[in-house]
Amino acid sequence: MQSRRRRPGVAATAVALGVSLILLSGCGDLSRDELTRGVESIAALAAQGQLVANGVARDATKSTYARVMAKTLGGEAEHEAEKLADAEPSPQVRPERNAAVQVATELADLFSELQTFPGDERHGALVEQHMGEVEAQAEALVERLGGDAG
Amino acid sequence: MNREPRSVAHRLLDEQILDSEGRRCGRVDDIELRGNPPRITALLVGEGLYPRRLPVRLRGLARRLSGPERWGANALRIPWEEVDEIGASVILRGKAEELGLGGGDNPERWLVRRLPWN
Amino acid sequence: MKSILKIALGIIAALGGFLDIGDIVFNTQAGALFRYDLLWAVALGTLGIAVYAEMCGRVAAVTGRPVFDVIRMRLGFGLGLTALVASTVVNLLTVAAELGGLAIILQLLFDAEFSLFVVLAAIGLVIVVALLPFGGIERLFGYCGLLMIVFVATAINQGPDWGAVAHGFVPSLSSSTLYLYFVVGVFAAALMPYEVHFYSSGAVEEHWDESSLTENRLNAIIGYALGGVLACSLIVVSGYLFHPLGVEPGDLGTAALPAQNAYGETGLLLALGGIMFCVGGAAVDSSFSASYNLAQFLGWEWGRYRGPKKAPRFTASWLVFLFLAMLVVLSGINPVEITEYSVVFAVVALPMTYLPVLLIAGDRSFMGTHANGPISRTLGWAYFALIIVLALAAVPLLLATNGGGG
Repeated sequence: MQSRRRRPGVAATAVALGVSLILLSGCGDLSRDELTRGVESIAALAAQGQLVANGVARDATKSTYARVMAKTLGGEAEHEAEKLADAEPSPQVRPERNAAVQVATELADLFSELQTFPGDERHGALVEQHMGEVEAQAEALVERLGGDAG
Repeated sequence: MNREPRSVAHRLLDEQILDSEGRRCGRVDDIELRGNPPRITALLVGEGLYPRRLPVRLRGLARRLSGPERWGANALRIPWEEVDEIGASVILRGKAEELGLGGGDNPERWLVRRLPWN
Repeated sequence: MKSILKIALGIIAALGGFLDIGDIVFNTQAGALFRYDLLWAVALGTLGIAVYAEMCGRVAAVTGRPVFDVIRMRLGFGLGLTALVASTVVNLLTVAAELGGLAIILQLLFDAEFSLFVVLAAIGLVIVVALLPFGGIERLFGYCGLLMIVFVATAINQGPDWGAVAHGFVPSLSSSTLYLYFVVGVFAAALMPYEVHFYSSGAVEEHWDESSLTENRLNAIIGYALGGVLACSLIVVSGYLFHPLGVEPGDLGTAALPAQNAYGETGLLLALGGIMFCVGGAAVDSSFSASYNLAQFLGWEWGRYRGPKKAPRFTASWLVFLFLAMLVVLSGINPVEITEYSVVFAVVALPMTYLPVLLIAGDRSFMGTHANGPISRTLGWAYFALIIVLALAAVPLLLATNGGGG
């Protein structure tokens, strides 16, 4: 039972806060959770990319398969980069968001490389190694996002 | 066929119809009962009979799709005497063409003639 | 001796034709997300399709009635039409998914424009169906689908923790909506209705009668059980390789990676080839199923064995369905997405086509001494209850998980 003597100012502030929260969480805004999700999928793409690259490195794959997979996965990495770059991040995660875009772009470039040289074992080995590094970067980013609780 | 006409009718409704040569030529879409006590006088076949099998609200739409009931065109009457046997399907005495049935699969129909393999 | 060979070949064809794009997509994702935890759902779905198929086959052999004949007879015109419309929509989506999958595999093998492969795949299927008799079509896709055994070999080669694998067969539920979505998806992918409808029409195409009942039972029990092993192997190889790496298999080509990892290029080609024939066979089965259902419901002449001249409307409708499915794929929707919708909607529509068959299979006035015995009756009704629950849960789970996206 609300007391009639409750100050009207409190109610107004509450409404204003609520409305601005709704507005702030609206389209284009990137929350910590969404960013984490995005980085996780980048890590997953890197992991898959390593498997494809490994096949190329061992000459244990078909070049058309490697090329088409690299194209598809590279497209997904690029799409993730664009999605993260277009979204407006909440201020605490802005540096992480920028790092994520960089990681995703780097990954897309590596896939491009694999697409261009799907039969070259040396390139495959290099791409696999670099993708491993990219994956590690992405996972470190996930940890940073999870650790900065607050 | 000693059973009550109504239960036979119920059993016959929606059954596949085969002609004397075993050709599939439609299903029993409705049954004509006449007289008192009611007896089955004919089987009714054809798209024109679909609307009356649907709930009232859908009938208008159905009629637009299958056309209004046109006897001889999209609604055919098979006199009860034409029925030879009743098993998993209703088997008729005569051939489909003689009874006007199975027209849709008839090689003479204009649409069928236009199919690439005909 | 000859009949044992015939039965064995039938089982082999059933085994090779068991998997389709739904199984491949859902099982690979399930393994990557949940490791071995959904193996029980595959087993449950496999038993379900064995039960359903055995009943449909028995009904067709004893009464000569394929599924949509039973549906029109038991449900009448109005309700039967609803079942037909639902079934046709699901079948169209399925054909589109399989055709899209076929095009993806061709692209992975021969790298050219995707749309080109969609059209080529459709034309290829028409040619195969036109040239081969019904039995030949089934045998071609069935035997070649056996290439999928490379996944069983891969699973053994990987040497997973078999204790953990065995534990996956113990049913477990979780409050995670994503997990529940995959329970429904994996089960539904194993119990796709078009397979069973095709099977029952095929029984009539091959002039089954009461002497075929043993063959029917063995197909269902042994053929589908072995098919279930193939389906389970998809989860195991994916769970072993992808789960620890956090790989998210969103593309069909990803499914072949475990085989490549274990056996190199040979493994890759066996896997891609196997998937191609499974998916191609499924495209034929689901498109035929759509035509069978329509023709049977309306009373048209039907059957591959009748030929296009004697069953022109049936044949024309098959071409139309294939063409429409082709358009759906060419519209640009990702085949993997189409697959997810086709599987989810299939289980929603499943009760409508399952119940009439269950009722007729248990009805002595139709089946005589071959009506459902106690085992079939118990399993039949238990699965009906289960299917209702899954049918109700499917769409809410699809929406809640954003199409399995989490």
